[in-house]
Amino acid sequence: MLTCAEELLLLAHDEKSGQFANLQDLLMNTALAGAVLMDLALANRLDTDLNSLVLLDRSPTGEKLLDFALTSVGTLPKKTTTLDALDVLRKQGDELERLGIARLIERGILKEQEGRILWVFESRRYPLIDGKELREVKRRIADLLLSDDIPDPRDIVIIALAQACGLLSRVFSESELRSAQDRIDQLAKMDLIGQAMTDMMVELNAALTKLMPYG
Amino acid sequence: MDITEQKSGGATVLQFSGRLDGTNSATTDTKLADAVGRNPALVLDLAALDYISSAGLRVLLKAAKQAQTARQKLVLAGLQPSVKQVFEISGFSTLFLTFPNRDAALASLK
Repeated sequence: MLTCAEELLLLAHDEKSGQFANLQDLLMNTALAGAVLMDLALANRLDTDLNSLVLLDRSPTGEKLLDFALTSVGTLPKKTTTLDALDVLRKQGDELERLGIARLIERGILKEQEGRILWVFESRRYPLIDGKELREVKRRIADLLLSDDIPDPRDIVIIALAQACGLLSRVFSESELRSAQDRIDQLAKMDLIGQAMTDMMVELNAALTKLMPYG
Repeated sequence: MDITEQKSGGATVLQFSGRLDGTNSATTDTKLADAVGRNPALVLDLAALDYISSAGLRVLLKAAKQAQTARQKLVLAGLQPSVKQVFEISGFSTLFLTFPNRDAALASLK
């Protein structure tokens, strides 16, 4: 089973270019930080409530990406906040992304291709091998949003992540998104880490907008 | 965290007491999955539940999904204000039928 962070990377992957969505690095790093925290919560390594985050178990999960994140969160006091954990992890976003992509390659979902743009600049692409896993993630999201079924915990996580990053437009048309908006809002707030991550992304986005008033 | 099980008419009441969090979510998950599997109508009496974390919410979510899949009834009763606040902020209040106390919850299942 893919981790939530890997599913987020897959959703952010552009099949045509073999690159990842052109999200602001700051926001993608925050989303990846949220994803790995959610993965660690699902693996019962940490727990959260409205105010705090508690590390429950430092034993490795066997997933390099999650264990890297677990070590980073382990540098915080035993009882800390979700925002502090997100802050520590988002600053290591490049490494989270590198480990996530490496795992997708290892699983045989992506392949790595080196190339050059205009024969000069080196570029790296990650084409999908057959796209089955991405179709599966999209199908799960569509099934959930178009039904009244009670979600399972992993479903809530991927909706929260995709919504926060604006990636649901890769699954639905604008009109479909509008008609599913109440359901999206209902599901996205069910994960408390997802709520903290979204709050942080809104703040970061506001700060970025202030820095680039004509952007 | 303690869970006690009682029969009341055609329904079963599980009374939770203490804290439901990541330290006991795995065992609670197992107990609840077993109870949902055996009982077509279940009241989770949370009047003595002082605290619920994200891990606790996931346990209840899985039970609700299991009950929905099996077309069984699962309702909640007696949420304390602190637990009710978590339910409202997380939107879990939209997933469950909740009642102020056990008797009201049992009456809804008749």
